[in-house]
Amino acid sequence: MLELRDIKYSKGDNEIIKGINMKFEEGNVYCIIGNNGVGKSTIGYIIMGLSDYRPSQGNIFLDGKDITELSLTERAKSGISLLWQEPARFDGITVENYLKLNRDMKKEEIEETLKLVNLEPSRYMRRYVDKKLSGGERKKVELASCILLKPKYVIMDEPDSGIDIMSLDMIVKVINHFKKMGSAVIVITHRKEIAINCGYSYLICAGKVFLDGESKKIVSYYEKTCDNCGHVNYLEEE
Amino acid sequence: MDIVKGYEKEFEELVEIYEKNTNDKSLRSPGVATIIVSGNKVVGLNSVKGMHIKSKERADGLVMIDVEIEDNTIIPIPVHLCTGFLKKRGEQILKFNYIIGSNVKVKFKSHCILTKVEKLHHYMESDMYIGKNSFVTYEDEHFHDEGGGVFVETITRMKIDEGSFFSSKFYETKTRVGRINVVMDIELLKDAKADLESKIYGREDDIIDIKEVLRLNGENSSGIAKSTVFATDRTNAHVVNEAYGNAPYARGHIECNEIVKGNSVEVSTLPLLKVMNDKAELTHEASVGRINQVQLETLMAKGLTEEEAAEFIVNGLLS
Repeated sequence: MLELRDIKYSKGDNEIIKGINMKFEEGNVYCIIGNNGVGKSTIGYIIMGLSDYRPSQGNIFLDGKDITELSLTERAKSGISLLWQEPARFDGITVENYLKLNRDMKKEEIEETLKLVNLEPSRYMRRYVDKKLSGGERKKVELASCILLKPKYVIMDEPDSGIDIMSLDMIVKVINHFKKMGSAVIVITHRKEIAINCGYSYLICAGKVFLDGESKKIVSYYEKTCDNCGHVNYLEEE
Repeated sequence: MDIVKGYEKEFEELVEIYEKNTNDKSLRSPGVATIIVSGNKVVGLNSVKGMHIKSKERADGLVMIDVEIEDNTIIPIPVHLCTGFLKKRGEQILKFNYIIGSNVKVKFKSHCILTKVEKLHHYMESDMYIGKNSFVTYEDEHFHDEGGGVFVETITRMKIDEGSFFSSKFYETKTRVGRINVVMDIELLKDAKADLESKIYGREDDIIDIKEVLRLNGENSSGIAKSTVFATDRTNAHVVNEAYGNAPYARGHIECNEIVKGNSVEVSTLPLLKVMNDKAELTHEASVGRINQVQLETLMAKGLTEEEAAEFIVNGLLS
């Protein structure tokens, strides 16, 4: 189990995350839902351990072990993975090498994974992961990379952003694939179509967990209340 | 292949070093056009149909090589230009003159094998004219001695005639640079296109100077000049990219990426764009600094250490 206990995070004088508690168990799908600017992605980065996202208070536990002080690499090696909202581009690195990442891996496994994310292997294996790939293609390559890492916990930050509407089904398929693998999937989104497929949701508002529970209930509340909410999100980051 | 009598041993030695570094066994093949120079002597020559090679060695040590390719010639297998130096010290001065006809398709692969020298000045000056509607690529890969005693100067002037395409790749990434000065000055006529790329890996106290110039003199001509330098240790690198938009609808893009590692590195880049026609369009991109943090963290979030991630990124950039 991955657990966040009383996590706070500040940037300068601005407290962005204000003491949140969350629990994620393997084999389940979770959603972190909320409007733009409420701190959803920040929570994902804190869990992953990115260099600028060290909590100012609180602890993160993985299977009972405190991993708050573990580095990004160590957390990745412990089985946590992040699907970036806007993945970086790499000149001179082919899709095949990016997915292999210096590991011994069967070509067939890579090809099967590319097919899973709707990329035809013969067209993409030798292409570069550079700016010539469209945003959607790059996102799909990143999805394939996450799948091949076989994570225990995968944070999917806005998995549908930059991807055409026809590929929404593929995202759901990938989420179910992770679930079948026994991974805990943490989906960060503000899209109802994605959130509704998750089991448990955390509704975030202004850096706090405002509501949590069964996804259908939370999504319904979010739709009815948050869309037209006059509440000002004073977090300008993300 | 015509191997000059008395130079068989040098020929064999150069070919062996080349094969070891590249895994390419095609140099001895009779169907491959080849020019092999050792020191100040042309030791091997092989031509193919439609291509004429003449060489002359002057008493002062200058080696002059004229390469002419007839109109409408397609050379399916790359032409190999292999220059090497097998003595410990000295100077190698080469002057190439290329005249490439119209409707020609040819690929040159140049390799500079300077792996056994202590102190050498290698100077290569090339003039190339490419006729109309031709397609020419030129790949230049260098292998230098690890002691850092090699000083390479390579000066290329080119004129690309109407509708032709030229691409150049200059790589010195596998061995120590020493000191290098690369100059490429290209004039493009109507509808001509050029794509220039240089990649250099600086180590220890290497000195790197690159200057790439695109003169877009013809209507609708276009060119890209891209330089990538990975500077480590005490490397000193200076890159100048220039583009001149002198004709309507000329388009040029220059790009320089210098990645630094270490506090004793000194790098700089200087872009110059000059437009002389209001319908021309020039752009540039430049970055100087350490490896992109987002790229590093993307790979570290997959389990690579910072060192492994940096190596992975640099290998891609210099591949």
